[in-house]
Amino acid sequence: MAQFLQQMVNGLSIGSVYALMAVGYSLVYSVMNFSNFAHGGVIMFGAYFGFFGITLLKLPFPAAFVLAFVGTAILAVLIERIAYKPLRERKAPFLYFIISAMGASIFLENIIIATIGPTFRTYPDVFGRSSIALGPVAVGRLDLIMFAVSAVCLTGLVLFVEKTRMGRAIQASAYNMKAAALMGVNTDRVVMIVFAIGGMLAGIAGVFFGMKYTVYPQIGNITTKSFVAAVFGGLGSLPGAVLGSILLGIIETLVAGYLSSQFRDLIAFVILIGVLVFRPTGIMGKTTEDKA
Amino acid sequence: MRVRNFAAALLVALVLISCGGAKQADVIKVGWFGALTGDQAVWGNNEYNTVKMLFEEINAAGGVKVGDKTYTLEAVGYDNKGDAQEAVNVVRRLTSQDKVVAILGPNASGNAIPIAPILEGAKVPDIATVATNPKVTVLDGKVKPYNFRVCFIDPYQGAVAAGFAYDVLKARKAAILYDVSDDYSQGLRQFFVENFKKYGGEIVADESFKSGDVDFRPQLSKIKAQNPDIIFMPYFFKEVALSANQARELGMTQVLMGGDGWPSDQLISMGAAAVEGSYFVNHLDYDDPDVADYKARYFKKYGIQTELNGYLVHDAVLMLVDALKRAGEPTGEAIAKALETTNIKGITGTIKISAQTHNPEGKDAAIIKIVGGKYVFQQKYAAK
Repeated sequence: MAQFLQQMVNGLSIGSVYALMAVGYSLVYSVMNFSNFAHGGVIMFGAYFGFFGITLLKLPFPAAFVLAFVGTAILAVLIERIAYKPLRERKAPFLYFIISAMGASIFLENIIIATIGPTFRTYPDVFGRSSIALGPVAVGRLDLIMFAVSAVCLTGLVLFVEKTRMGRAIQASAYNMKAAALMGVNTDRVVMIVFAIGGMLAGIAGVFFGMKYTVYPQIGNITTKSFVAAVFGGLGSLPGAVLGSILLGIIETLVAGYLSSQFRDLIAFVILIGVLVFRPTGIMGKTTEDKA
Repeated sequence: MRVRNFAAALLVALVLISCGGAKQADVIKVGWFGALTGDQAVWGNNEYNTVKMLFEEINAAGGVKVGDKTYTLEAVGYDNKGDAQEAVNVVRRLTSQDKVVAILGPNASGNAIPIAPILEGAKVPDIATVATNPKVTVLDGKVKPYNFRVCFIDPYQGAVAAGFAYDVLKARKAAILYDVSDDYSQGLRQFFVENFKKYGGEIVADESFKSGDVDFRPQLSKIKAQNPDIIFMPYFFKEVALSANQARELGMTQVLMGGDGWPSDQLISMGAAAVEGSYFVNHLDYDDPDVADYKARYFKKYGIQTELNGYLVHDAVLMLVDALKRAGEPTGEAIAKALETTNIKGITGTIKISAQTHNPEGKDAAIIKIVGGKYVFQQKYAAK
């Protein structure tokens, strides 16, 4: 029983890392209708921004944290302006967006390898590595902080989308961008805001990932998992992305803990495929349009 | 005038020829190759410098007696730039052009594996230095007749760790976490499991991960539930630091053990308190009193510290000299035959070559403990 509870805590912790990454993914998808593969690269930059903020600029952690997510918000908007906007204006097929996104992702990874180097780096110990014991279950201090920050960010995001004018504009654009533009919504600005928010979430995810593990140029690869989690939860749905991520984290942990760690990815993904076969829109997805 | 000049010239020439002839008979040429340029140049230069220094010392002390004659040793070294293709070329040149009787090096397994056919054609033995891949001397279960090595093979570290854990640390229940996508890690794990069971110990958990994974808590939680005495972690320092931190976070206090993938500054800076009190297996330790003399001689001659490679090529030279003395004649075939029965005491431990594998069997490994963020030499240990 103690092991089961511990494994659930482990699963929640791993799932919340996926969730922070998956929400940014899902948000961009809901408006742009394509998978922004450069998201992983932006997450990686967030981890490096935070790392150099603390070590090189000697900033206190909150300042480095802000630097990281402001930096990635700007980076994400830049990527949109350079890699996607020209395609948007030419009404290029969605396949071109995906190829452009992959190009951006490879570019981001390699620019880090070429300038900073391929070796991994470690965040200085900010919150301490100790954990809090709840009976037989150990909960990491960083996990708790990460969980709280993620909850605040995600609630804030939902409130923003539901309650503000801009949020309604995002919803309208997500529903039908052309119609929204005809109704007087500045869709160009909506796209920019969406990328800025996605970039901020990526920056936050990057800093936490870097602190929890390490910083290296291939961090972006982990977004494959969060992408799958987003599809599982229902692409385009923010609560779906969170739910899918948490479930994926728990399934992975339980498979590794009770069956075999070698079968972890195999079984986790077979379950995901199974869900998609019976429910192609994911758990909370709404539309059934063909979206790549 | 002209005739006298001619006669003088002839005389000089004759003297030169006879001198050269006499000299050639007393010299044994030994080849060396490795990387003198490129990424691995530090190690290559370190090896070649050590070989030259030792040959000078041997020659100054009167040379080596082979059969009834005494010879001096001459090193012929070539740069293969750490490249496997180039390794084949330089070995061909050493055997056909320079007619060396034996070759020392290289340090890399990838360069030592492809040279076997040329050695066999020329009947010249080679002693590799830090080439730890099992395939350097044995391929498909058959020993390569002219390939030898002075270091122990990778998986052997697993056997050493198992013996040390059972014998010295008195561990009876062991858990393993290893990288399933890495040959090195799998080899160490296999030897650890086999040996730990042979001693009478129990493997209570055998968990794996894949290269690139960063979270090991599911596996560690499973290991924790089995309450082992030690945890064996045969992989590289990055994953070691991550998994050690996560184990401590989960409240696990077990002693951790590993192999030569551990030592690195990063391990200490990243693992900090989590790896304190852990043990790992290495080829040798620089603070071991047995290596102090060579270390000092090298520093005196070249003004820089020797590397790991230097210690092993030092013992490769000892192996070769011992084999020459017993060979009876300075030919590659006779030396190879003598090398098969090598049993000498080197500075890196006892080197007893097995005729079946051409590896040193039961060679001492160094056990290192992490104390106060430093690598502290504990003792030498050989698996039985």
